[in-house]
Order: sequence, then C-alpha cells, then structure tokens
Amino acid sequence: MATNSTNFYDLYRHGSLGVTLTDALDDLISAERIDPQLAIKVLGQFDRIVAESLQEKVKARLTFKGSLDTYRFCDEVWTFLIKNVTFKMDNGASTVVADKVKIVSCSAKRTDEK
Amino acid sequence: MSNATVGAVYDHIINEVINSVRVDFEENGVDDGVLEALKKGWQQKLSQLNVAQFPWDPKPDPPSAQSAPASAAPPSAVQAQQQAATYTQSTLSPQTSAQPLSHPGNPHANGNGIAIKQEPLGPKEPVIKQEPALAYNNANAARGGMAAQRAAQALESQYGPRAAASINAIQSGLVSQIGSAAPQGARPGQPQQPMNAQNVQQQQYRQNMQQRHQQQMQQHQLHNTNGLPTSQMDGPSDGFEGVLMQRGPDGKPVEMGRVDIDNMMHAQMMARAKQMEGGGLMLPLKEATRHRGVASKRDSASGPSQVDGPDDDFKEERDSPDADAINSDLDDDDDKDDDENDEDASAHMMLCMYDKVQRVKNKWKCTLKDGVLTVNNREYVFHKATGEYEW
Repeated sequence: MATNSTNFYDLYRHGSLGVTLTDALDDLISAERIDPQLAIKVLGQFDRIVAESLQEKVKARLTFKGSLDTYRFCDEVWTFLIKNVTFKMDNGASTVVADKVKIVSCSAKRTDEK
Repeated sequence: MSNATVGAVYDHIINEVINSVRVDFEENGVDDGVLEALKKGWQQKLSQLNVAQFPWDPKPDPPSAQSAPASAAPPSAVQAQQQAATYTQSTLSPQTSAQPLSHPGNPHANGNGIAIKQEPLGPKEPVIKQEPALAYNNANAARGGMAAQRAAQALESQYGPRAAASINAIQSGLVSQIGSAAPQGARPGQPQQPMNAQNVQQQQYRQNMQQRHQQQMQQHQLHNTNGLPTSQMDGPSDGFEGVLMQRGPDGKPVEMGRVDIDNMMHAQMMARAKQMEGGGLMLPLKEATRHRGVASKRDSASGPSQVDGPDDDFKEERDSPDADAINSDLDDDDDKDDDENDEDASAHMMLCMYDKVQRVKNKWKCTLKDGVLTVNNREYVFHKATGEYEW
C-alpha cells in the first residue's frame, strides 16, 4: 500500500479529496495540458501532504461503536466492515449513525519509521 | 464538531499540494495557468460532492462570476468560428453562396442558422473537386478497355478457341480496371460518356462470359474439392442476376447469385481455417472424437465435408466452458458478495492509520488516528479515534 518513492500511503487517494484530485488531473491529461508523469508526481505530493496535514492540523477525537461484520488483515492493512455504527464526536454534541461503514486502515508505525 | 474543520483542512491540503508541485510544473514547462486550472477543477469537484462547507464556497460570488463567463465564452467562440467559416465558404465557392437562397426559411439568420445549413455542403465539396479527375479516370479505363477488347478480338479471330486463356487474361485485367473505376462512378452528376463505355464493355464481357464458364466448368470438374475459381468475376457485375454458373447435381448449369457465392466462399474459408488448425488435431480428445463421428455422419448424408466446419466450431465454444470449468466455490457468488459490500460501503468509508488493534474473544478495540471519515454524505476528519465493536 505504501508508495515506495515517497514512503507514504496512497490510501487517502480513495477519499473524496483524492478522488476529486484524480478527476481534475484526468481532465487535464485528456485535454493534453499536462503529462501523466506530472500527474503521478502530484499524487505523490498529495499522499505526503494529506498525511502531514492530518497529523498536524487536526485535533478532533472520535469514538464509535458498532457490530463488526467482517474483518480482514492483509499486507499490514486492516479492513473492517462494521454495521449499525454510532460515531460520537469528542465534544459530545453530535452523534452520527450509519448502518454500514467500511474502515480501511494502514499501520501508523510504518510512516513513523520512514 | 470536526466537520467544521474539514473545509479548513482541505483548503490547506489543496494549497500545499498546489504549491509543492509548482516546481514540478515549471520543470516540465507547463504553464502556471494549468496549475491554477487544476486547483479550480479540484475545488469545483469537491464542492460538487457537497461533503462539507469549504472556505471557497461561502463567498460564492467570485467563483460563480468566474465560472459564468467561462461557460459562456466557448459558445461565442464557436459561433465566431462558424461565422468565419461561412464567410470563407461563401466567398470562395459560388455553389455554396447560392445555397442559402434555396432555404428562404429564415433570411435573417446570421450566425448559427447559416452555419448549420451549410454544414451538409462540406462533404459535397470534395465531390465537386474530384469530378474532373473522376471523369478522367473513367475515360482512361474506357480507353484501356477498348484496347484490350481489340486485342482480345484479334486473338480470337486468329487463334479461335485456343486463345481463350489469353483473352481471359486480358479481360481480367480489364475487369479489375473497371472494378477500380466503378465505385467512383457511382457518384451523382457523373458524365454520361464513361457510363456508355462501361456498358459496351459489359456487353463484351457478357459475351465472353460463356467461354469463361466453360473453362471454369472444366477446372471445376478437374479439382472439385478445391473449388471457388475466379474471384475477379464479382467486381463489376452487380447488374447480373447470376454471377457464376455451377453444375448442379443433375448436371445442368445453375446460376449462382452473389449471396450463394458469398456462402460458398465462407464455407471454403472455414474449411481452410480448419485445415490450418491441424484439422482438429489440437482439439481436446473428447471434442476430436465427437467431431469425427459427426463428420462421418454428415459425409454420408450430404457430400461436401467442409459444411460441417463452422458447426463444430460453434459446438466447441458452447461446450468448452462446461468442460473446462473447475466448478470451484471460489469461482462464483463470493465475488458478488464482496462487490456488493464494497459498493455499499463506499458511501460510508473511513480511511485512517491504526495504532492498535486488540481483540478479546469477540470484542474488538481499535485505536485509530489521522483519519478521514465519510458518512451520510458528510465528511469528517479526526486525529484520534477509538472504536469498540463486537463480532
């Protein structure tokens, strides 16, 4: 899961931020305004910056409960499928309920070791 | 709540990414405007997802004002181009300038209307341009054809039937010439003269047909299995009812139409293809034996062995999936479940790092960090999350 060149996970590319970036890059590539190589570089930078920003800029905490439907541990990546989840934000003001959530989680240690 | 911070964090990430790749863009010689376009496109797409309130959204005036001219600009540019196109077209060629008169429906139409009407003229123009060359071609073909016919006639008068082969050779050359000229001749507005010449040739050709048929019959009888003679015959003879004569089962010649010939050729090709593959030697043993059984049955029933070529191929395709299938549980159903889960969950997804994942019997405890969570079309970011769930 880790990109070898930068040692950051490309995990966040699958989030909305990464998907929209990929879309925007795709548009530019198909319009032949940039090179695919350049787009790959941009995504590499994105991997790094997302990881750093989430570490440094975000202070929010979150707890959640639910019933685990599926768990999977493969190549140091945990995948959980949890049903009937309740998320509680740290200030307790709001809870969010979802019938099904998929969690994809990479090891935090590997990025620390870099 | 952490959703409020999402916009700020994402904005920060976007700016960071854009700034950090600016050097790469410069190194690649890509314009700074493209980088700005990337940023705009990225922000726009994020806003469309509507997963959070973004800092570039609350003040919607600048973006919308920018996007409005952007969306309005292309049509006007296109219009201008179209107008330019109409002007050059109408000034350059007299035919096109006459064209609007035949459409008096909206005489005031200035930009789009005329441009659309004139579009059909585009494909016509090459025809007009080609016409002289076309007539020249046909005339050439006709001239060549005359010479060839004269030569053929001379040969025939001198040597009689013995010269049939060389006459055929001359005729075939002529036929191919006509064949190449014929598709062009199908255009409208073509001069009448070449057409006449062609007709003359076709009459001559018809006369010579009989001779050739006799020759073909002989060939056909000699090596009946390897049939399909004279492929050049089907070129110009669209006007004929039957293109090829074949000796029927009762010994009488039977006229064959183009479809018949096509079928024959197809059967031949399938048989050849079969031969190339080793005549079924490479088939699985089961198939090979079945094939032989079927073939022998067919042979006894209805003569030509190549008829069963395509049939067997189809059968092969139909049977092989069953024969090759492992019928393992891994092959089916499981995948479908997984896909279903993935699709369902993709709307609600958490991407994060894990610090600890612990399990005691069926109780799980996880410590996660640096995550992005998308639930119910809202996006949340967190620094730390703890989850407890039972399996």
